[in-house]
Amino acid sequence: MAVPAVAFVARKLLVLAVTLFAASLAVFFSRFLVPGDPARFLLRGRSPNPESLAEITRQFGLDKPAWEQYWTWVGGILQGDWGRSLSYRQDVSEVLLGRLPTTLQLVALAAVFIMVLGLLAGIAASLNRGFADRFILIALTAAGAVPPFVAAIALVAVFSVGLGWFPSFGSGDGGLDRIWHLTLPALALGLSYIAVLARVTRSSMREQMLREHVEVATSRGLGRGSVVARHVLRNALGPILTVSGVLVAGLLVSSAVIERAFGLSGIGQLLIQSIDRLDFAVVQAIVMVVVTAFVVVNTCVDLIQPLLDPRITAGTENR
Amino acid sequence: MSALLQITDFSLGLAGRKLLDGVTLEVDDGESVALVGESGSGKTLITRAALGLFPDRSQRSGTVSVRGLDTLTAGRRELLRLRREHASMIFQDPRAGINPVRTVGDFLTETLVRWHGLNRAEATAQAVEQLERLGLRRAEELVAQHPHQLSGGMLQRVMIAGALLGSPELLLCDEPTTALDVTTQAGIVALLREARQERGMGMLFVTHDLGLAASLCERVYVLRGGKVVEHGATRQVFLAPKEEYSRQLVEATPVIDPGAAPHAPELPEDAQPLVAVEGLGKHYGLRGGGTVTALEQATFRLPAGGSLGVVGESGSGKSTLARLLVGLETASEGTVQVEGSGRIGHRLRTAERRRLARDVQIVFQDPYLSLDPRIPVGQAVADVFRLHGKEGRRKAKESARELLGRVGIAAERLGDKPRMLSGGQRQRVALAKALAARPRLLVLDEATSALDVSVQAQVLELVEELREHLGLAILFVSHDLAVVSRMCSELLVMRQGRIVESGATARILADPENDYTRSLIGSYPRPLWETESLEAESAAP
Repeated sequence: MAVPAVAFVARKLLVLAVTLFAASLAVFFSRFLVPGDPARFLLRGRSPNPESLAEITRQFGLDKPAWEQYWTWVGGILQGDWGRSLSYRQDVSEVLLGRLPTTLQLVALAAVFIMVLGLLAGIAASLNRGFADRFILIALTAAGAVPPFVAAIALVAVFSVGLGWFPSFGSGDGGLDRIWHLTLPALALGLSYIAVLARVTRSSMREQMLREHVEVATSRGLGRGSVVARHVLRNALGPILTVSGVLVAGLLVSSAVIERAFGLSGIGQLLIQSIDRLDFAVVQAIVMVVVTAFVVVNTCVDLIQPLLDPRITAGTENR
Repeated sequence: MSALLQITDFSLGLAGRKLLDGVTLEVDDGESVALVGESGSGKTLITRAALGLFPDRSQRSGTVSVRGLDTLTAGRRELLRLRREHASMIFQDPRAGINPVRTVGDFLTETLVRWHGLNRAEATAQAVEQLERLGLRRAEELVAQHPHQLSGGMLQRVMIAGALLGSPELLLCDEPTTALDVTTQAGIVALLREARQERGMGMLFVTHDLGLAASLCERVYVLRGGKVVEHGATRQVFLAPKEEYSRQLVEATPVIDPGAAPHAPELPEDAQPLVAVEGLGKHYGLRGGGTVTALEQATFRLPAGGSLGVVGESGSGKSTLARLLVGLETASEGTVQVEGSGRIGHRLRTAERRRLARDVQIVFQDPYLSLDPRIPVGQAVADVFRLHGKEGRRKAKESARELLGRVGIAAERLGDKPRMLSGGQRQRVALAKALAARPRLLVLDEATSALDVSVQAQVLELVEELREHLGLAILFVSHDLAVVSRMCSELLVMRQGRIVESGATARILADPENDYTRSLIGSYPRPLWETESLEAESAAP
């Protein structure tokens, strides 16, 4: 029992490491596909003085062979040194650390909204056939079709301008104030994902409801609540978890639009600026952070799955 | 005082169709009653109704009362009490019926903890005790395991334990042994018989197998199309059925009879065998090391026009053997020689596969899965004529019409998609598809197991007739000894990947050499009156 479990975890962790390595290659070398010389950009259109150009190129290690640059970069990351930003003239880690918390908090809050509201809506839809089900589905489909920036504008119009409940701008100070400030952005960010998760929850629950073990549970005299909680929802969690893993990890990328709309200084904004300015060190760092988050979240999901469904470790999930 | 279960003039309609029509049925305390019918007869609806489980939006009339409580009109709380205290149900497939993500112990104790007021430890102790009483060893370990770690037979015992823990007065059994092997079935049937006698429960036993009903129940109701066509003492219905339909059912029920086995065709001494299998084996590598042996050391010969039955329980390697013969699997060792097609031990190339398919065809168990749902049946058969017979479009269509007519599919059904046909019709189409290649060997892999007994009888008859006409050799793989012995002159008995006994069917049935073969024959359900007279004989001095 213990040996397959250890092998399972080890295999997943190995896959994680390989994926990250492959991602780092892609992230680093994709920069050579982009036209433009980062050193030239620093001179901001001033007449290219060959000496200073060479100086900057050397200073940022841009003259070394690509492979050597890659190893320096990866080695640096592993020691916490992400290189220097060309445009901010600061260490990348400092630039990043200043903004990462805002984005992470935004994403975390959005994730909470997605999980709670998505699950609730999905469960409600799956349990009520007929009108309620159809109403929830239509509402969700409509909500899912709203682009995040439109949702942002609408939410601001209603809740900050109209009702004045929430602020429309900035990220506030720490603690509750931060949550208060991030509520509308998180809702706008998560809205379409709530729809996706609710649909997955609904269909996964519906699928389980038709299973014979649910009928058996009912026939044994379990109340409806017990049947739904113990035998329907519990069994439906697998696909729900998988989809939420992908969704939540993807939030990091799509947060850029929302950060702009609500004037938050997070890594989404930073990413767009840095691409504009050909600030590769920052771009690479952000992409690496996003990829890592994505892969780590999904690995966590994979590791939790066997706890939800014991058949997965045994490799007989097809039964 | 009404009976324990009293169903009076119960009708149930769904979407304008009448599924049950005026059913009247009763089960008394301590009585065991069989409800026999084929798929679609409504027998499942009746058992569900006894627990107040009805399909959504169904129209119901009449009464279904358990201990005086009419489930058609009872409130939610009364129904819950009925299910908790008075009646329990055992379902067909314990793999589907027990939640796969929860432990066996959780399944057993969830009812005890919830309303019998026990704490978890007490409930577990009771569950363990019940499991042990049902003959499961290491019960303390079992309760911590998940369903996929148990065999089907063990799991069905768990399901029965779960039903008995509530100390029901009425036990509803919905085909509780259909998903199990025949030797396992014998154990479960004995268990149910004991439990019923011990507790004096009333039992309603639903089955499509008349023989099984006769081995367990004193009275029987025969159900057809939602109506009870006949009821009475089992012996009466079995030996002297009054209604035409009951008589057909009894006749269609296969029995083991050494005298009924077909004779082997007369062959010249030096005839080449059609199929020669030599030391055939198949091993599968497991993820994470280790191998599973599905088949080893299989050696046999099958002459042209011969018939060979392969019997065994699940996991005996009989299907692997069938798949190896048609080249769907690649052998790990040994050879298969099909006359004219050469060896098929290696992975086949397309041309080789086509040549082999011309000689060897297979019909699978489930015609719902083995026919392409998008292709009209006439075209499905015509396609085979075009592929193997190199016939033109028009000619192939004509050939398909003729062949389908021969297996009993009328010309006007040719344009139908498989879903518009019944199970038996689909299996006929699958058979026609196989025959369209004009094979010399037809492999039937449990080809009648998914069918109702009366349909099975028709399909078997058809196969027999076609075999005689076309001079086909047949390899019939089945778990059902009775079916195989009726069809085949030679028999292979398989167990855990090995052939444990082989020889003429009549000889094996009359005088089995191997212990396993003996237990296989002995597990076949025997009518109560036969076992009773046997017991009486042995009890007499």
